[in-house]
Amino acid sequence: MALKFDRRQVLRGAAAGAAGAALWPIDAFSRDRLVIRLDRDLQNLDPAYRIGPLEANILRGVTRRLVKFKPGVVEFENDAAASIKQVDDKLIEFTLKEGMRFQGGFGELTADDVKFSFERFNQPGPGGKKSTYAKDWDALDGVEVTGKYSGRLVLKRPAPALWMIAIGDGSGCIVSRKAFDALGEKTAVQLHGAGPYALAEWVPNQRILLRADPNYVGPKPYFQEVVLRPILEGKTAQLAFRSGEIDFTSLEPTEAAEMARDPSAAIIKKDSINYVWIGINVEKKPYDDIRVRQAIQKAIDVDQVILGAYDGTVARARSLMAPGLLGHWADAPVIKRDLPGAKKLLADAGLPNGFKAKITVLNRPTFQAAAQIAQANLAEIGVDLAIEVLDTGTYYSSGKGDVGKNLELSLQRFGGKLDPGFQTQWFTGEQVGEWNWQRWRNDEFDRLDRIGQSTVDTKAREAAYIRMQQLMADSVAYIWLTHEVNVFAGKTWLRPSILPNGDDWQYEHFLEA
Amino acid sequence: MSTIFGHIWRSSTGKFGLILAVAIIGSAVFAPWLTGDPNRIDVLNRFAGPSWQHWMGTDHLGRDLFSRILHGARIAMEVAAAVTAIALSLGTVLGVAAGYGPRQVERPILILFDILYSFPNLIFALALVAILGPGLENVVIIVAMTVMPHFGRIARAQVLRLKHAPFLEAERVLGASTARIVFRHVIPNIAGPLIVVAGMEVPAVITIEAGLSFLGLGARPPLASWGTLLHDGYTYLSQSAWPVFFAGMMLTTATLAFTLFGEALRDAIDPRLRTDP
Repeated sequence: MALKFDRRQVLRGAAAGAAGAALWPIDAFSRDRLVIRLDRDLQNLDPAYRIGPLEANILRGVTRRLVKFKPGVVEFENDAAASIKQVDDKLIEFTLKEGMRFQGGFGELTADDVKFSFERFNQPGPGGKKSTYAKDWDALDGVEVTGKYSGRLVLKRPAPALWMIAIGDGSGCIVSRKAFDALGEKTAVQLHGAGPYALAEWVPNQRILLRADPNYVGPKPYFQEVVLRPILEGKTAQLAFRSGEIDFTSLEPTEAAEMARDPSAAIIKKDSINYVWIGINVEKKPYDDIRVRQAIQKAIDVDQVILGAYDGTVARARSLMAPGLLGHWADAPVIKRDLPGAKKLLADAGLPNGFKAKITVLNRPTFQAAAQIAQANLAEIGVDLAIEVLDTGTYYSSGKGDVGKNLELSLQRFGGKLDPGFQTQWFTGEQVGEWNWQRWRNDEFDRLDRIGQSTVDTKAREAAYIRMQQLMADSVAYIWLTHEVNVFAGKTWLRPSILPNGDDWQYEHFLEA
Repeated sequence: MSTIFGHIWRSSTGKFGLILAVAIIGSAVFAPWLTGDPNRIDVLNRFAGPSWQHWMGTDHLGRDLFSRILHGARIAMEVAAAVTAIALSLGTVLGVAAGYGPRQVERPILILFDILYSFPNLIFALALVAILGPGLENVVIIVAMTVMPHFGRIARAQVLRLKHAPFLEAERVLGASTARIVFRHVIPNIAGPLIVVAGMEVPAVITIEAGLSFLGLGARPPLASWGTLLHDGYTYLSQSAWPVFFAGMMLTTATLAFTLFGEALRDAIDPRLRTDP
């Protein structure tokens, strides 16, 4: 019997269907897809050449490490390792779980892949360039493979931060030797791990799709798909959140109050160990004269920046290490604004009428507002500060290589990790041309950094890190602004998994509340 | 001149546009004397609403909005004047050369006009900003380039109309040089329509400048362009709507004023250019 419908029946049916769909409570759908906003696009998914926390978050979801952080806390649990033991200060032994397979048909994860993944950090990569994160594995002498599933990490020296910033974190992600041999430089965009998620799609500037790997050996992630959407503009992200386009986003601290008015939003605030500062290139004239740097430091009203740019929602930073971290310098001086002193310093430096200067900032409203306040402050001592606002890609290359020699002032924000050695490593002499945009070199600083990385004596480490911050203060290359506050908005039905540093998210542990 | 002014004054829309345009130009010229420092920051007084102290409230850094709006008018007028002057001069020179010169000169100029004309104004301006970089000086050059063909085409059309006029033929027969004919006879005779076009282009120029500044490609901080005021206001819209309201209102008012004035000027100088029925 053939079914026949007339036009009215079709229209009635369509209307009923549409009404039904509209009335069906959204929460009644089972959620297996999570949409998260990224505040920039990805750049490189090779663990050794990743840019920052955004890439590391994906790496942690797609690959395995020997150990990983438990959900939301700084405690380790075994991941790829069936067992792992620190035998002594310079030896760590591990045995892998069996049957873990790399996505993309690249075979089983073995101790040889661990060796490949860790040792490559200290070997020249594409273009002969060493990894930006080489220092994470600086203490590694080599990985000895003792069996298909077992091996030993042999260290050159004691390395107290190794677990925190290397083995259990982004630099500890285990990649496939076979995949790297087969894909070459494509590994920057094609990631094949053995973790809970597989990288299913990456459309630059549009979306990154992580899909739960059915072959993953271990607890399955709650969400079958995680879609990451790069939305640079905070305001656009807020609108996307309100419209239900995204489920989770980081926020500027100043945006929290507004977002809290959205009944579908749960606001999460966490103390941060990030650090934001105005850096001064000490090699560039006239900033090579410390009196000019001191004048700038005395002229900029940091309290005004906190109030104006951050709406008073964050505390002022006095040094590199945030409170609570090993090496926090509790007695760090608070630089008071001193315009007559600043003018005198400029006059002594032969610039009584000021000079033209430039500050480079990322195109985020908070940073732009901070730069405008600095601009107004410096105008009072005759310094005509131009603000150069750059988008992500251009900004992050503006201090690197020879281009970085022309940088003057820059407003920078780095993500912190819970070991102080991660914070100090970017300011060593060998980072000039990479992430040390102030181009400040100090032999004592570098020596203390090595001590901090290699001694297990906590007191000695603390003393070293405090002394290093004193040296940074003496250089007057850094005007510390804030350690920020990490603020997130998630849908009320979502229970995100965020590590205490705020920047590190664990997609596989995001749950429905 | 008095006839032209009288014609504009007799038109109700023209009178309205003229009064507003004069008020805007006046406030732009006298902004430094009418207001305080537009860049003075007062973070304790951010997002304040209108009051006796701050007639239009304050922005996200506590800067006085009235002062910034008036200084924004100054930037808008400066850009409009500079762009119109450059575009008018260059367009006239090229248009006259195309109209009066040989075909070898005319063709490349027309192709140039066609190329420039084929892009929407803002898109073309964005492309040029990508090459020249942001900044107010570059915005003047860029916007001048985008509106210049309009002047050039009008100039060429007017020259073609005049080229074989009897009085010019007489001049040639009497042995007048080309330069004399162009500067003494052609340009004065085509000036009317070009001035009308200049008046009509002002609102477009103001809008493009504001658009580029809104996108962060025009006026640099701390300059107070209406576009940057709108952008900053949009960013902090949830904290205060006043910056967007006042900057938007001024932009709309200025555009309306110069459009009405331009139309009245057109009707007064050259009624044949009217496009309305």
